[in-house]
Amino acid sequence: MSDREKKKAPLQYSLFDGLFQGRQGVLLGLFTLFLIFLAIFPFLSFASGFWLNTLTLILLLAAMAIGWNFIGGYTGYAAFGNVAFFGFGAYGTGLSMTKLGLSFFPSLLIGALAAMLFAIVMGLPILRLKGHYFAIATVAIATAMGEIADSWTSFTGGAAGITLPFFDPIEWSGQFFYYMSLLLAVGGLLLTWFILNRKMGYSWIAIREDEDAANMMGINTTWAKVMAFALSALMAGLAGGIYAYWKTFVLAEEVFKIEYTLQMILAAVLGGTGTIFGPFIGAFIYYILITLLVFFLPVGQLHATILGTIIILVMVFTPKGLMDFISGRKKISINSLLENIRTYRV
Amino acid sequence: MSKRVLVLLVVLLVAAMALAACGGSQATPAPSGGEEQSTSGTTEEQASTEEACKVVFGAAVSLTGKYAKEGEYVKNGYELYVEEINKQDGIPVGDKKCMVELKIYDDESNADRSAQLVEKLITEDHVTFLLGPYGSGNTFATTAIAEKYKVPMVEANGAATKIFNRGFKYSFAVLSPAPNYLRGIIDMALDKDPNLKTVAIVIENGAFALEVAQGAKDYAEEKGLEVVYFDKYAKAAKDVSSLITAMKSKNPDIVLGAGHLQDTILVMKQSKDLGLSPKVFGFSVGPTSPEFRKALGKDADYVVGAAQWTPELKYKSDDIFGTPQHFTELYKAKYGEIPPYQAAESAAALIAYQKAIEAAGSLDKDKVRDALAALDYDSFYGKLKFNEQGMNVYKPMAVMQNYTDGGLYTVWPKEAAVKEFLYPFKPWDER
Amino acid sequence: MESLQFTQGIVNAILLSGTLALVAIGFSIVWGILNIINLAHGAFLMVGAYITYWLFTLYGIDPFLSLPISMAIMFVVGYLVQRYLINMVIRAPLLVTFLLTFALEIVIINLATFFWKGDLRSVTPDYAGLGFSLGNVQVPYVRLAAFFISLILTGLLHVFMTYTKTGNAIRATGMDIDAARLQGVRIPQTYALTYALGTALAAGAGTLISISFPIDPTMGGAYTLRAFVICVLGGLGSIPGVMMGSVVFAFIEVFSGIWFPSLKDAIALLVLVLVLIVRPSGIAGKAFYH
Repeated sequence: MSDREKKKAPLQYSLFDGLFQGRQGVLLGLFTLFLIFLAIFPFLSFASGFWLNTLTLILLLAAMAIGWNFIGGYTGYAAFGNVAFFGFGAYGTGLSMTKLGLSFFPSLLIGALAAMLFAIVMGLPILRLKGHYFAIATVAIATAMGEIADSWTSFTGGAAGITLPFFDPIEWSGQFFYYMSLLLAVGGLLLTWFILNRKMGYSWIAIREDEDAANMMGINTTWAKVMAFALSALMAGLAGGIYAYWKTFVLAEEVFKIEYTLQMILAAVLGGTGTIFGPFIGAFIYYILITLLVFFLPVGQLHATILGTIIILVMVFTPKGLMDFISGRKKISINSLLENIRTYRV
Repeated sequence: MSKRVLVLLVVLLVAAMALAACGGSQATPAPSGGEEQSTSGTTEEQASTEEACKVVFGAAVSLTGKYAKEGEYVKNGYELYVEEINKQDGIPVGDKKCMVELKIYDDESNADRSAQLVEKLITEDHVTFLLGPYGSGNTFATTAIAEKYKVPMVEANGAATKIFNRGFKYSFAVLSPAPNYLRGIIDMALDKDPNLKTVAIVIENGAFALEVAQGAKDYAEEKGLEVVYFDKYAKAAKDVSSLITAMKSKNPDIVLGAGHLQDTILVMKQSKDLGLSPKVFGFSVGPTSPEFRKALGKDADYVVGAAQWTPELKYKSDDIFGTPQHFTELYKAKYGEIPPYQAAESAAALIAYQKAIEAAGSLDKDKVRDALAALDYDSFYGKLKFNEQGMNVYKPMAVMQNYTDGGLYTVWPKEAAVKEFLYPFKPWDER
Repeated sequence: MESLQFTQGIVNAILLSGTLALVAIGFSIVWGILNIINLAHGAFLMVGAYITYWLFTLYGIDPFLSLPISMAIMFVVGYLVQRYLINMVIRAPLLVTFLLTFALEIVIINLATFFWKGDLRSVTPDYAGLGFSLGNVQVPYVRLAAFFISLILTGLLHVFMTYTKTGNAIRATGMDIDAARLQGVRIPQTYALTYALGTALAAGAGTLISISFPIDPTMGGAYTLRAFVICVLGGLGSIPGVMMGSVVFAFIEVFSGIWFPSLKDAIALLVLVLVLIVRPSGIAGKAFYH
């Protein structure tokens, strides 16, 4: 982004954005109710395997979106390659389980650490890039990693992939992976809250608002940026590891596909970037929208068009996400919807 | 205002889930032709008078995405069988007959979605048995779900052996496994010209194609041929000219391609551009599909392709189709084209079920599974019999050739051949 | 490496570089002047290719003759998209325009798949696949023609941007939007015109690609990525830079394809990342924006 644009863009976020503002009591209460609902969900009578499966996917997406929010939302770096960390987590976990013969939890840890390490090694050089250049460098790295994993037959199994053992006992695998994902997503929320109350959180937001100024104020911007990148890799890496064991196989074309990056960004944007709960809620909104489109509406093969149209509408009318409306910072009205256009059109 | 928005969201969410869970029947499956509607209509009428018997087969098939075309053939095969069997009032189970219903979803050629849909078919739609999707990747993902819920899945379009190396008890494949694909072409070429010496193999970097290529390489070497080129190109590659050039510099007698329809077309197109003219061009998937001729026109001439099944094979059976020729007639009447083998094998999966259900005399999932494991039946599609892993290793592969008259004919095995194998491939610069 | 592979590789790379330059030039002017990454570029390219395909299949119009038609149609489409959609949020943060153009791509590809199905199609005029040989090296006529047409179109664009009033207005807008406005340049129209030019060039490239390669609705994404890499290699907004970037990229792509055929874009992408890290303004040097 050029300096000129930055000056024109108003200060959009404050630290206590989102649910912790204003009517926090009621909203937090409602959210807690929702979490309780999620916690007891597998015991409800209508919780079929299908819905457990769908919710597990949503929670994994939420966890990744929460991770993306660190670098993309708070620090303001448009990272478009976070799926690389998902892939690293999946392959790290899969290879540790099959080649080293470790059990799931140590393997998951190895996978997540591999993802973090990769983020640090890559982050040091590419986090010096700005705007579009950073964005495309992340896409390039993720795509290249996927291709290398897909053709490095002797190490990753190549296009034949890695086959993992089943979770034992198999009857409880649905519940096991559901709770793992729930734990990860809720852990991500706590992590966000924890960091925001530390110096790190202030550093991130300072970098987003004006990196040069942050530097002059004595903030170690390199350290802060790399930490944001590494923590988002941690979330995606853990999600990738859980996903690999859940699906019982790792294939490069599945775990490195760019759709996952887009899904996490969309979830964060729909809910609201740079807010604590935005990515979590956004993941639910996004996925339920998709599920309804695919399964319950007779739109059949056009659902991608509808999804695209929704993204376009959101980008044009409310690119800050729905969090602004939920938290009461904005009223839903023609004026508030047109505000975005008034600010940014030529 | 905002509070209401959030409450509304939560309520909507819960309501959506509850609705979906309680009213499983309200879920609208992807539209799959008119005949199911009439089927379910009949079933409802019967239900009012007596306990109706129906057997529901569920499948996630690629109707959009990269396998949309192949997925359509699969769906056609499933639907043709259902239409025919329901004309005879369904499948005999013990002393009564059960109407057949089909529930098909679109998996968008996406393994994740495929697994999710199969889980929905089992836990929400409560289908009786499962059918397979298209492609080894999706089949690999869905067989794991079937195994988890102990619901049998007879699949017809995933040939990779790695699907069956996991010790699953509920997965069966009616098609010949991947390593066998190109053997027929090698046999046929050597039969025609024993002086052929060298083979070049190009491979799509995917689980199925890699197994096909490895199988072909092993077999070629066993037959005394020298494999002078063996390399893979990226999945969904848009340009393989580097590989074509590399092969050309080796001047091979036979060029074999392991891959799918789209990349096979690409290899042919660029072989022409770069003047690669071996004596035999053979592919695992592609040349037997009508799309191949449509995309290449005259350039499709002489190219041979492996086929799980062809309309000209001489099988005789007492199943509802009887012979490949009768299946072809029915298919042509309904869909207006010669059936590709994907349609035939998909219909054959249902025949395997029918015979197993008849043998078991019940719709019990475990009994039918056991009957499937013991099945040994000669269908219009060939032998249906599974080894311990669930693969049908008992059926041979055929070879078809795109003829210079624009037709597509069976040229191998000899006893089923309707035309002589045109040999050698006419070099591009002489056309 | 065998010598045939080497010489054929050089010929392939040179022929490829022409088409790639045409793809990248449209992407480059949109990025340079409007400061947005147009992720829908490849989708417009794909529509251009399908226009050619349908004109050929339904009406028998020669694919080379359909070039102006597909460019004209997509020029109008591009103008409308920019004027009435992207202009609305053009100055919003990067993420917004990025996702907006990406969503456009999703919609276009999905509609194309819905109406035209997902299978691979080919434009097959009688002369497709014909060529001449230099020794053992094959030079297909259509690729050679596509190469020269690309060069001509690129040259025309260069002349337009340098010597016409409108072209100068576009460049002025890219350099300093406020100064341009003071000079009486109508910014929304200029933006729309620039985007329309970019779209028309994409469609032209699509037409040329459709003659040499099979087409399908998802073909565009790979070209968007390539255009981006070329812009980075060549430096943003300079036409000679883009030409040079295309040549470099074409050689990397062709020869990495010979040495590592199962890697599609990985080598080129890693080169991109290296260049970005070492020299963020591109190997050709100065960018006229930023």
